[in-house]
Amino acid sequence: MTTISFDLVSPENLIFNDDVGTIIVPGKDGDLGVLPGHSQVMSSLRPGRVMVYSEDKNLVKSFFVSGGFTEINPEKCIVLAESVVELNSLDKSSIEKEIEELGSNESKESEEQLSIAKAKLEAVTVSFYDKI
Amino acid sequence: MPSLKDIKTQINSVGSTKKITSAMKMVAASKLRRSQEKAEAARPYSSRLEEMLSSLASSAASGEGIIKLLTGTGNDQNYIVVPVSADRGLCGGFNSSINRETFKLVKSLESNAKKVQLMPVGKKSRDFFNRAMKDQIIESFVDLNVSSTGYESALNISNKLQELYFEGKFDKCILVFNKFKSAISQEVTQQQLIPLDVSNSEKEEEKENSSNAIYDYEPDEETILKDLLPKNVSIQIFKVLLESDAGEQGARMAAMDNATRNAGEMIDSLTLKYNRTRQAFITKELIEIISGAESI
Repeated sequence: MTTISFDLVSPENLIFNDDVGTIIVPGKDGDLGVLPGHSQVMSSLRPGRVMVYSEDKNLVKSFFVSGGFTEINPEKCIVLAESVVELNSLDKSSIEKEIEELGSNESKESEEQLSIAKAKLEAVTVSFYDKI
Repeated sequence: MPSLKDIKTQINSVGSTKKITSAMKMVAASKLRRSQEKAEAARPYSSRLEEMLSSLASSAASGEGIIKLLTGTGNDQNYIVVPVSADRGLCGGFNSSINRETFKLVKSLESNAKKVQLMPVGKKSRDFFNRAMKDQIIESFVDLNVSSTGYESALNISNKLQELYFEGKFDKCILVFNKFKSAISQEVTQQQLIPLDVSNSEKEEEKENSSNAIYDYEPDEETILKDLLPKNVSIQIFKVLLESDAGEQGARMAAMDNATRNAGEMIDSLTLKYNRTRQAFITKELIEIISGAESI
């Protein structure tokens, strides 16, 4: 078995559903690299990148998720994310602007959004492997 | 006896009403398709969330804080009832059945000496309860447009509910909404939202699942559950909003279909009346002419 089935689901729709080689998921306690035959894990997610690699280790898709859950078993990986954006549709300068705006706002809600936006910025700026 | 002109205007006005209702029917039909697709698209998330929750639910004994969403406050004195109606009328019994059912529910709870508060969703139920039980409304949500705003709208309601719950304002929350059965039929349904109703039919099934699936939890079961439970409340509300939206369009389509058909029948009978009246006039005139000619 060289592929694992991967579902990325948001409340509004099913975003990704295919057999892939590797998925990197931003678990709460650290990133999880999911390969076929992974042990059964259930984890909550922090805001971060979900990277999907094909069987021959090339990057297929990359997403930013603002948190959620994942359920992993040897054949399947499901990510339930609250909001999902494709990474290459994000624009660095607009996120910076968002952070600035949120920073001046001192409610509990905006604090949460701020941490998401910061994670988003990190997701855009920090480099990643196109091939693993 | 109405004159020919009167009947003609009546026919015309019924005709234009018919045009409006048949247009509304077509609009509702296309909206229905869209809402149904939305409801369809939201299903994978909610079903998977439920699966996860069910495998976790057993691990929660009793507790403080967020776990209370699952286990309850231990009281059942204070209720909050959330009727979910549409923002607009002209959709048959859709709104009034919600209002009636909610009204009945509130009365029956009150007769059991429970304290009931209301949080209507949608203009039609807000307006109704503004008249009927104004002082029991603590909050209302209107103009949600769930098909365009999506999940956000559900989040607002869910946040407000949870805020009130953790302030200890209520012990149980019941949703009253129209369950979408098919394009032409909706069923008024009550669903207990908080605490989570564990007497679901799926429970049997899930027991079997949980026994053969041993998961590692990261960070740990309780933390995940704490994240999962508030999300579950939002997602349940989202599901209900979508169902109600699809139901509304279905109800409107059926109501407008009926109205169009009725207008058609009315036009037929009016046309018949028009023709008869016209014939009667002609006959009368002929008689007058003939009797006039005879007298000469």
